[in-house]
Amino acid sequence: MKIDKLIIGIIILALLVGLPLILAQPEEPKEKTIIINAKQFSYTPDTVEVNRGDRVTIRLISTDVHHGLYIDGYEVSTDARPGQDGSLTFVANNTGKFVMRCSVTCGPFHPYMIGYLKVKPDYRLFGSIWLAVGIFICSILLVSRRQKQ
Amino acid sequence: MTEKILGLIPVDWRFELTSLPYVRKIIKSRWMPFLPIVLNLSVFTVILMAGFVGGVSAGNYNFGIMFVWIVWWLLLMMVMVPFFSRVWCMICPLPAFGEWLQRLGFMKVRNKLFGLNKKWPKALKNMWLVNFLFLGTTYTTGFLTTRPIATFILLMSIIIGSIVLMAVFEKRNFCKYIGCPVGGFLGLYSNIAVTEIRAKDPQICKDHKHKDCVIGNEKGHACPWMILPFDIGRNTYCGMCLECFKTCPYDNMAINLRPPATDLLVDKNRGLDEAWKAFIMLGIAIFFFLIMQGNMGFLKDWANATTTEGYLTFVALHSIFNLLLIPGVFFVFVYASRTLGNKEIPLKKLFTNFSYTLVPMGLIAWIAFSFGILFPNSSYVLHVISDPFAWGWDLFGTSHFPWTPFLTGVMPYFQIGTLLFGLVLSLDIGFKISKQTFQKRDQAVRGFIPIAAFLTVVTIFLIWLFTG
Amino acid sequence: MEKKQITEIIAAILVLLATVGVIGAALLYDEHLWGGLRTIELTAQAPERGNWNIQEIHLVRGEPVRIKIRNIDTVSHGFAIPELGISLNGTGEIKPGNVGVIEFTPEKTGDFLFTCTTWCSTQHMQMTGRIIISEK
Ligand code: SF4
Ligand code: SF4
Ligand SMILES: [Cu+2]
Ligand SMILES: [Cu+2]
Repeated sequence: MKIDKLIIGIIILALLVGLPLILAQPEEPKEKTIIINAKQFSYTPDTVEVNRGDRVTIRLISTDVHHGLYIDGYEVSTDARPGQDGSLTFVANNTGKFVMRCSVTCGPFHPYMIGYLKVKPDYRLFGSIWLAVGIFICSILLVSRRQKQ
Repeated sequence: MTEKILGLIPVDWRFELTSLPYVRKIIKSRWMPFLPIVLNLSVFTVILMAGFVGGVSAGNYNFGIMFVWIVWWLLLMMVMVPFFSRVWCMICPLPAFGEWLQRLGFMKVRNKLFGLNKKWPKALKNMWLVNFLFLGTTYTTGFLTTRPIATFILLMSIIIGSIVLMAVFEKRNFCKYIGCPVGGFLGLYSNIAVTEIRAKDPQICKDHKHKDCVIGNEKGHACPWMILPFDIGRNTYCGMCLECFKTCPYDNMAINLRPPATDLLVDKNRGLDEAWKAFIMLGIAIFFFLIMQGNMGFLKDWANATTTEGYLTFVALHSIFNLLLIPGVFFVFVYASRTLGNKEIPLKKLFTNFSYTLVPMGLIAWIAFSFGILFPNSSYVLHVISDPFAWGWDLFGTSHFPWTPFLTGVMPYFQIGTLLFGLVLSLDIGFKISKQTFQKRDQAVRGFIPIAAFLTVVTIFLIWLFTG
Repeated sequence: MEKKQITEIIAAILVLLATVGVIGAALLYDEHLWGGLRTIELTAQAPERGNWNIQEIHLVRGEPVRIKIRNIDTVSHGFAIPELGISLNGTGEIKPGNVGVIEFTPEKTGDFLFTCTTWCSTQHMQMTGRIIISEK
């Protein structure tokens, strides 16, 4: 009984350890230009996905009032008024999800005007799921092992 | 062998904080907690005034909104509840007017309270009313957190409601069962706190036939929260008002430091009302995240009531998700747990008992959520303390401090770290509850597996939602 | 008087200070801060929410004046009197919940336009008013 559990645990762990290698097929870094439309209180598209190493240029277009765009973690920002676009460029070296938030107060829901930048592959997400599953398996093993004492 | 929380701290480990010099003296003085309440009241005066003059202007530059929904909320979730239990209720100025009216004075002790002093109906002595009250309040979160006047109206209605209801119902029934939207989760989540108020020596209480803490004396009031100070059991309904320290003739009350979450193991007064409180709180954390930090524009339009249909859709989805969906999914796992463990245990008992594992999970979810407000948005506070009414003041020279997010790059790691810690803690509590419920160890292990799986799935979901 | 009554009175005073006292102090401080100079309080809101609260400002040539612009809106606004070369310092923007202050002494008489300088709504162009400066 205990042995099976250990074996299952080891298999799962091995699988999990293997996965990032599959995920991490390196892609050639590219130049990417993305147009984001801002209006009260959302961005379209609301999610921007790029790969690690890409050189990303975002053009921000506002269709109603003055909006901004600030990217968490990268700490870059731009802003746009109707007819007056903003733009920013960065190299996507950090992977994971980063919040893009409006940086110009644009109405009551301004603090909630949010989009996501996802830089793949997301090791952070993968690592933490792996940790959570690891904690789960450990806890099961731990409570069943104590039984013997 | 006594159990250990996280395998580290024995469940019955205590350190008495009131044994430190002067602490007991301060706590026995009638100025405590009167002075902190009054101090707090002056802050609330500013909050109310700012909310009123702020009208419908932008919430992020308003003192009322910032102090209630950023400073207060974050302090509550990240500091007060986990570390100091219901300490907020000790210093809360909202029911103070009602209480002063009942006592017809500020500091004096009056054992026959003024007012109708009605007893609270027995059927309502649970958390259901506050469950719905809090859920109802969150329907308006889109307004409360963005329009100063909405916060003003909310706080004013709590104050006025407390005066009226406290004139009718005796003592703190207002806080305990009906009036305060946050009272319910403060109670439930305080079970996790690493501090508690308890009687020191049960023998002294047993020998003391004239229970001063229950009926009051000239030094202090009878427990305003209508619990038995000599047998508190769980932190849930102790509002930390400190009256029992004053009434106890033997100085037998104590504030203790203790390991976290021990109250969740107390198999007494558990109930479905608290189970649902746990579901609702978890669901609200998820919905709040989607509205405030999510990327779905349409949901924001719904919560902002841009269209009536949208708003009603939001209300309906939000309610179904919290009241039915989360309990429903949880039920499936509990059912599996019973099948694996022991089919003789009543389903309701298992369901109720295991729902307490969601208490650490829920509080941790709120803390992780709060990081997403703390780092990006707390710089607004610097502006509002310098110019609280938007009248062009500059009290501390920071009124032109721009919005400055900080540490946003490492924020996800804070969130993941707390969520994983929450998983460890709730798994630990989960197995202890499992042992308690199934009695037999092997059944407990088998019955624990589905619950552990549920907690892991929730954690992974939250990690994905917040940071992936 | 008994000691108990004295504490009760002190407590009552503290409660009064925390409520009425705070409000009174705030009003007094505001009075003190903006007293002295003639102050015109403008509140700025986008046209669809009410526009400038005052559409016509009457000033007298040679008399110093302070214009206090309170942005009580949810978006940024600006303020300028282009023909007199008067505008806000810095970015020229007043964020919501913020206040912009301009102090000047009119030197020309006439009828001038004051306007918002930030693209605050689709009707931003209507966010204007008149300043009429006359001889004493
Ligand atoms: S229950 Fe609510 S109103 Fe009552 S003291 Fe606590 S926070 Fe304040
Ligand atoms: S037990 Fe009762 S009297 Fe003692 S602190 Fe708690 S609420 Fe107050
Ligand atoms: Cu915006
Ligand atoms: Cu304008």
